[in-house]
Parts: sequence; C-alpha cells; structure tokens
Amino acid sequence: MALTSDVAPDAGNRLEDLVDTAHRIRRSIESVIEGKADAVRLTLTVLLAEGHLLIEDVPGVGKTMLAKALARSIDCPVRRVQFTPDLLPSDITGVSAYNQQTREFEFKPGPVFANIVVGDEINRASPKTQSALLECMEEHQVTVDGVTYELESPFMVIATQNPIEMEGTYPLPEAQRDRFTAKIAMGYPEPTAELEMLDVHGASQPLGKLEPVATTAEVRALIQAVRAVYVSQAVKRYAVDMVTATRRSPDLRLGASPRATLQLLRGARAHAALAGRDYVIPDDLQELAVPVLAHRLLPSLEAQGQRRQPEQVVADLVRRVPVPDTN
Amino acid sequence: MRLSVVAGLAVGAVTLTLYSLFEGGAWFWACVGTLLVTTGGATLASRFDAPKWAVPPLLLLATAVFLSATFAKEHTWAWVVPTKASALRLGELLAEGFTDIQRYAVPVPAEPGVSMLTASGVGLIAILVDLFAVRLRRAALAGLPLLGLFTVPAAVLTEPVAWPAFVIAAIGYVGLLVADGRERLTQWGRAVLVRRARSVGTDKADSGRLALSGKRIGATAIALAVVLPALLPALSPDPLFGFGVGNGSGKGGNSIGIPDAIAKLSGQLSQQRNLTVLTYTSADDRPRYLRIYALDVFDGKKWTVSPLRGRPEDRVSEGPLPPPPGLGPGIATNRVESRISVSEDIGPLLFLPLPYPAVEVDVDGDWRADQASRMVFSTRDEAAGLNYRVVVNEPRPTRDQLDTMDTPTPDSRFLALPDLDPKIVAMAGRVTAKGATPYQKAVLLQEWFTRTGGFSYSLETKGSGGSALSRFILTARTGYCEQFASAMAVMARVIGIPARVSIGYTGGTKIEKSWAVRTQDAHAWPELYFEGVGWLPFEPTPAGGAGQGTARVPDYSLPRPSEVTPSADPSAGPASDEEDTSSQGPTRRNPRDFERDLGAVPVAVDPGMPVAAKIALGAAGVLLLALVPAAARTLVRRRRHAQIRRGGAAPAIRAAWAELCDTLTDLGEAREPSESPRALARRLTEMYEFDAEAAAAVTAVATAEERMRYAASPPSAGPAAAELSCVRRALMGAVPGKRRMGALLAPRSILLRVRAAGTRVLDGFDRLEGIRWLPLSKGEAGTR
Repeated sequence: MALTSDVAPDAGNRLEDLVDTAHRIRRSIESVIEGKADAVRLTLTVLLAEGHLLIEDVPGVGKTMLAKALARSIDCPVRRVQFTPDLLPSDITGVSAYNQQTREFEFKPGPVFANIVVGDEINRASPKTQSALLECMEEHQVTVDGVTYELESPFMVIATQNPIEMEGTYPLPEAQRDRFTAKIAMGYPEPTAELEMLDVHGASQPLGKLEPVATTAEVRALIQAVRAVYVSQAVKRYAVDMVTATRRSPDLRLGASPRATLQLLRGARAHAALAGRDYVIPDDLQELAVPVLAHRLLPSLEAQGQRRQPEQVVADLVRRVPVPDTN
Repeated sequence: MRLSVVAGLAVGAVTLTLYSLFEGGAWFWACVGTLLVTTGGATLASRFDAPKWAVPPLLLLATAVFLSATFAKEHTWAWVVPTKASALRLGELLAEGFTDIQRYAVPVPAEPGVSMLTASGVGLIAILVDLFAVRLRRAALAGLPLLGLFTVPAAVLTEPVAWPAFVIAAIGYVGLLVADGRERLTQWGRAVLVRRARSVGTDKADSGRLALSGKRIGATAIALAVVLPALLPALSPDPLFGFGVGNGSGKGGNSIGIPDAIAKLSGQLSQQRNLTVLTYTSADDRPRYLRIYALDVFDGKKWTVSPLRGRPEDRVSEGPLPPPPGLGPGIATNRVESRISVSEDIGPLLFLPLPYPAVEVDVDGDWRADQASRMVFSTRDEAAGLNYRVVVNEPRPTRDQLDTMDTPTPDSRFLALPDLDPKIVAMAGRVTAKGATPYQKAVLLQEWFTRTGGFSYSLETKGSGGSALSRFILTARTGYCEQFASAMAVMARVIGIPARVSIGYTGGTKIEKSWAVRTQDAHAWPELYFEGVGWLPFEPTPAGGAGQGTARVPDYSLPRPSEVTPSADPSAGPASDEEDTSSQGPTRRNPRDFERDLGAVPVAVDPGMPVAAKIALGAAGVLLLALVPAAARTLVRRRRHAQIRRGGAAPAIRAAWAELCDTLTDLGEAREPSESPRALARRLTEMYEFDAEAAAAVTAVATAEERMRYAASPPSAGPAAAELSCVRRALMGAVPGKRRMGALLAPRSILLRVRAAGTRVLDGFDRLEGIRWLPLSKGEAGTR
C-alpha cells in the first residue's frame, strides 16, 4: 500500500514532508513487526490525531512491541506500566517525596511523564488507578499535591487489555473506553509473516537495532500539519450522520458520543494527511468508523442474542449511510 | 357500523352526479332524507346485531314510512304512520313522476312526483349497497348498484358527466372499498413488533401504511381515469376543466361558461310554462330573430362555441362596432333601431339576445363583442332585467346579387367537419346537384328540409350529433329546430358553404305595440356565409302550427318564383302556407322519387385509409413511442457532452459525473448509497477489468467529482469528454449484450426519472390526504 499514491497536485511542502516522515516511521516499525501494516498505519493515524490507542488482544502478539517500536522510531521516551490490582494512582502520576538534604518535598515524576506510555493489561488495575491515567489522557496534564505539571507533546497512551475474562479484572467502563480514540486488535500474524519473524528475529532482540528516524519536533510539526487538513461541510455532516445512525440503530443500546464525532473527524484528518491529501473524503471516515466507533457502543439484547458484535453493526451502518453529494 | 355510514356516503356521492338531470333542489333534499333514513336504519341494525336477512325488508319499510311522511303527509296517521290513502297517493305521485320524466327533456323540473321517484330509487340503491357491502361483506359487488345509479345521468344526457362529478362518485366507491378493507385488517389483529423500546407505539403506522398504499392506488386510478381520456384526443368526450358543457373563455383571465345551449333549448321548447322572456320594439315594426349564441365548432356529436375574445377595446360601450364580416359594397342595407327589454324570467344569461348584425349596442354594464361571431357577452353582468338599444344593419341582397357570390371561407373552422357518414355526404351532393351557384345550392338545401325532403316537426326527438344526425337526415326525418339547423349547417359545410348554428329566439308574436318573445320561441337556425354579404340566416325548420310557431323564412332564401311552383308567392309570410301549397302543387314531387331520380349522380366519397395501413401506422406509432426514452437519453447525453466541451470546471464535472451515474443506472449497475466516487472508480476498475486507459479515465472523472465535493478549492478543470466516452465504451464493452441493448433501448435512468416524478405526484396526493376531507376519516376518528 503506497502512501504516496494520491498526492494532491496542489499540496504544499508540509504535506509532502509529512508523508515522507510518516513513511519512514512506518517502515521502521514494520521492520520489527511483520505483516501488520493496517495496525501500524492506524497507530500512526492515532498518533497524528493526538489520540490514544486501545489494543485488545491475547498476550504475545506484539502489542508492547508495537508501542516500543513506535517510541524508538521517533526518538522519544517511552514508559511502560504493568497494571496490577494493587497499583496506586501515584504509581502512575508520580509522588512528592521528602528530600532530606534539601529538607523539601520533591516531585518524583511517574511513568506518565513520557511521550508514549504503554499501559499493559489496563483492566487489571482498580478503577481508581485507571481513572488517574484517564485523567492524564484527557487533560494532557498531571496534578499532584495541588501542583499541575504539563505533559509533553506528543503524548500518546497505548493501552492493552486481554479479551479473555479473567479473575481479578476491572473491565473498562463505557465512559472510560470512550476516551480512547481507537481500538484495534493485533491478531495473529500470517503464517508466512510468522515464519519470517522466526528467521529475522529468532536470535536477536530486534528493538535494539532500531534507530530513530524522526524527532519529537518533527512529530509535533506533523500534528500541526494534520490540524490544517480541510474538512468540507458535507463531510462534517456525513460524520454526524454516521454517529447519529449509531444512536438510532435498533441493534445498539448505547450510541456514540459527541466526543466520538470529534475524534472520528480528527482521525479522518490524520488519515487524509497520511494519504497525502489536504482534504478529508468520506472514504477516510468509512475506513476509521469501525476502529473509532465500535468500542464505544453497547449492543442491544437483541443483537447480543444474534451474536452481532458492535464492529459488525458499525460496518453495516457505514454501508447504509449515504455519502454526501454536495456542499 | 362505520361501514354502514361509509356505504351511505358512497351512495350520496353518486347521487350528486344526478345534479344535471333536474331543475331545482327539491329532489336533492328528498334523496338526502332517504339516505339518512336508510343509513341510520342500517347503523342501528348493525349496532343491535339484527339478522342479516331481516335488514333489507326493515330498511324498505323505513324508506316507505319516510316517503309517505314526506310526500303524502296529509294522508298519514299522526303524520307518520302510512295508511291506505297515503300509499295510494304515493302510487299517484310515482305515476306522475314517470309521466313527467317521459314528457320533459332534461333538466326535468323537480316536481314532487319526480322527487319522490328519484328518492325512492336512491333509497333502493342504498338498501342494495348496504346488503352487498355491510350484510354480505362484498364491498366490491356494491359497486354494481352504484354503477347503475351512475349510468342514469351518463345515459340520459348527451353530454358526458362532468369530471368533478365523476371524481366525487369514484371517491365514494373507493372510500367504501377502503373502509371494508380496513375493517378486515382490524380483524387480523395487530402486527407483533420486535423492536426496542424506543420505537414502540408504531402500531398506527403499521396499518396506516397499508391503508396509505390502498389510498394511493385508488387516487392514482381516479386521476388516470380523469386525465387519460383528456390526453387521448380520440377518447376526449369533454375538454378538461370544462365543468359543465360547451365552454368558451375570454382572454385576460376572464372566462365564462356557456350553458349547454342545445340542451337548454329543448328544455325551453318543451316547458309547460310559456314565460315571456323579452319584449322589443323596432322602428320598422318587423319581427327579427334574436341571436344569443353562434355555434361554429362541430365535433360530430355537438355544436360548440370556439373560444371567445373580449378585449377591453371590444366593449360595446366603446362606440359603434366595425362592419360585420363579409359585407361588401353594392349591397343594399337596412338600418333599423330596436329597443329590447329582457325579463327576469330569462334566467341566468351572460349573453345578450341581439338581432344580427348589430352595429351599435347601447347597454349598461361591461358587455363585450366577440369580433368574429358578433356574440355580445359579459363575464360579470347578466342579461336578465336589462333594457337596451340596438341598431342593426341588415343586408338586403337581391337574388341576382347572391347568385354571383362566391363562398371563400373567412376561417377554415366554418368548413371543418368530423368524419361523417358517407351517406350524408352523398345525400348533400344529390340534394344540391341542380344548383349552379352556392346560393342556389343553399336554397335547394333549405327547400329540401322544409318541403321536398319529407321532414316533419316533433319535439320528442333527442340529440343532434353522431348517429342521431345520420338518423335524422337519412331515415327518421323527424325533429325540431335543433336537428334541422344542425343538419342544414353540416350539409352546407359538406357542399363547401361556410356555416354555423345560431341559437336564440324567433321574432315572437306581436302584442299591442311591441313584440313578445316567449320561452317556446327558443330556436336554432343555420347561418350561411356568402362573400360580399356576410352571414345570412336560413330557416330549414318547418314553421306554423305543425312546426316552430313563430319561425319565418327569409325572403332571399325562397326559391325564385319560376323555380318552385306557379302558385307560390315569394313574398308570402309563413312557410307553412307554402308547405300546404307545395304538397298540392302541380309538381307534387314525391321526395322518394326525387332521390331516385338523382340517385345515379356519381358522388366522390373518400373511403378513408385501408385497414392494413391503419394497423401499420398504429404499429409505427407504438414503436416510435417505445423509442422515446432512448431518444430522451441520447439527448441528455449530448447535452452533457456539450456541457463538458464548453468548459467551466464545476458544470463540466457535474455533467460528467451525472453521465457516469446514469450510464451505470442504464446498465443496471446497483450502487450502495455509501459508495464514494473514489470507491466507485476502484470497484468498476476491478469488476470490469478495465485497461489502463479506461482505469485512468474513470479515476479522473471520480477524482474530479471528489475534489469538487470535498476539497477546499475545486479543481480548475473538469475531465475531458474523451475520458467520459472512454469509460462508457469500456463499460458497454464489458457487459453482456443483453444488458447493453437494455441500456440503449430502455434506459433505466430515464424511466427512474419518470418514476420519481410519479412519486412526487403521489406525495401530493398524500398531502391532500393530510387535509382529512374524506368523510371516511370521521368514522375513523370515532373508533380510535
């Protein structure tokens, strides 16, 4: 899938730079994660849309690897938090400790003070701890003992959770899932890709060889460029139509929130920019609808009875909502 | 229960179509009363679950009681209970009604006998409808008695029933069917909805949707029944929007309807009360025919007036009228002033009765003269009660002058004829064969009607058009002024003399110093056109006691003394005298002999087109009609290509995209509503395995449309026409031949557009539905 395939003729230099940089980051990540182009692209989209990513999958398919590869490729600090039932909020945000030498309380930043934070098995922590992380995600800031610390941009949380029901887990409530821009499943690699993985990474630790291909400053510039992508009134209406359809669908008990609309549109901007386009088209929204919307929805009892997953319902809705014709 | 009410309403709706059969409203109220009684009785019977077999006798009884209480009150006991005397009285009334109906031409005055007869008939129909629709639950069958009632005006009147009346009657029947269907549906119970809580409460929409489609079908059927005949010239019985019959319309937003002149005429002639409708005095104290209408269009069935023109400058108050058409120099004229005073008894009349040709009219009100016909009419004032002065300038041509005159028509419509029975054409040729000039032919024609043809005068005859005309001329030879005037005008046109039929009054009878014109002086006569003189009235109707009492034959229209009978005096007054003399005269020509003598004269008759040619023509027509969508599609495509070539990015892109979409529709290519231009281009390329050129072309069209729709700045240039053609070629080449032919011959995009228009029309009907004017809705509201 060539990212530069449809560069608009009048796109500025910034957009070309963006495509170029994004392409470098993508290749860099793909060199350690085989055959997961879609997941990689979506991760980049979420990064550029200033969102957070929820990866739901079984252990050992490369969730953490993906997060680390991304962090390593853009040369920024990455912190990993293993969520456990006894994890405290301060374990995430940081604590003020008494320094005996200076005789003052000194703030020890927690793991959120990084550009990319990997929250492993987020559903194992208590709701209190989960909410501490979620506050940082929404506000991009941490408040400890009345002092507010800004988080550095870019700031992205990549949380993972196990889909299998396990003892001692606190599944994320709808309200908290709503804060994640997108949810993806890594899925098992293709047999060929897995074979190649054995060949290439069998003996060594691939992450170690990964060299940064972009700086945080460059990524910040990319985010700025994404914000400038044009969204026509028709496309905005289309996004609203799509979200409204989830609220009206008889298969869903809970539709998507206005925050979902916002994040859908932000994601579509990033998606368009990654394709080298300076305007959003309905196709961008269509492609993002399932990963961005599905995890926020609750299926109705009827749909559950028919074993229809929200992903399926959203895909059906996308097929039914007519694309806007004109402005 | 509701069904009973709707059945009553349906009968009521059909009863309304009888309006044109009667004069006055007494019959209507009698019918309404009867319907109330039958409907009320039927409703009560349903309410108390009376046995089905008992209902019709009960209703009959109720109707009988109502009728005796209404029409024979003085003979009933306690004003209600029928007695023997009241029954006898009803019988008498029935007999009276039957005689009245036999005796009068429509519209029949609504005397008690007629009202009683009508009411009992309507009551009987209502009971039958109730029996079929409510008791036996065969609502469709109830259409038969309703149809029976509806055929009464349709059969009696020569004019078709006006379309709004038909619509009302049809809505009545459809309403009955809908009510019946709904009653059935409610017995099925409600549909079970497996929906989430939010959409509960839609049970109404469920049955509503079924009813809606039913109503849509009904409304469409009625609309088609009204509109289609108007669109097909061959089937058009009555011009659309001509409520009533024979209409004329003035320019400038004013329009007036001419009441059916002919039907009114026969009604007036057969009226028992002979009212004085107007009186007049004239300077030379001679009677003159007073013309009201000049009918110049003959469609094979009836004579009507072509549209009138009454511009503001045509007001008679603007000064003297221009000289009448056709009057040349050298013709002696007679200028006479008359004063006419119209009685209130003349009824509603928007035209002035005037002698022809009037040159000055001095009258109060906004009266305008139609330049061609010299009819004087108004759109707001009525003639009743008016006093006015009129000056005529009668031409007085001599026979020699008339002999030299030719008949170039002032307007081809005065010679226009529908397809006539060839025998009539032949007869016209035979009758006038001896005449050398048009004038002589006209005189021979009039003579044939009044003397030699063996015609007799009778008011019993009905109708003047179509088969009635052939019957009158060829076989029956019995009629009154209507048939005589119509037949002479038609035959004059056959032999090439422009002719029209005038309707008005004869000169009337002299009472003291003035002339009185009565209802029974109503008359029709033909006017023939001679260049140099203009329109001249002729009188083919027998006059005197055995004919139209006050009809007079104009001097110039009598044959030269030498030509007829030695005993005939050309200056003799009433033609009846001549009739007598002619039958005893020395020539004594038997009309049959006359025909036989001239039977061998070859007459050219156009037999018309052979049948095979007609079929071929019809087939060609159907074929052409079938190709209309294809032609329309081609036109649309041409227009779009021209648009693309003309440039201008936005219109060109729109045109190219619309063309691509329509091509896909034509090919039967289904499209998801959610498919974006880009996705469509990708799918087409993959599905039809486009080559690189076609793929690039379709991508160009789609990308242009996409940028047009969604980008901040639309593209500066649209796709090229060549690209569009390339995509079309690629698509056409990729589909099987059958689909390609379908796309070419029956392009679906055009048909869909037509269907969309139809949907909009239906939506219009649905909006009408929202007004809730159907009587049905009342019952509906009652049960909800």
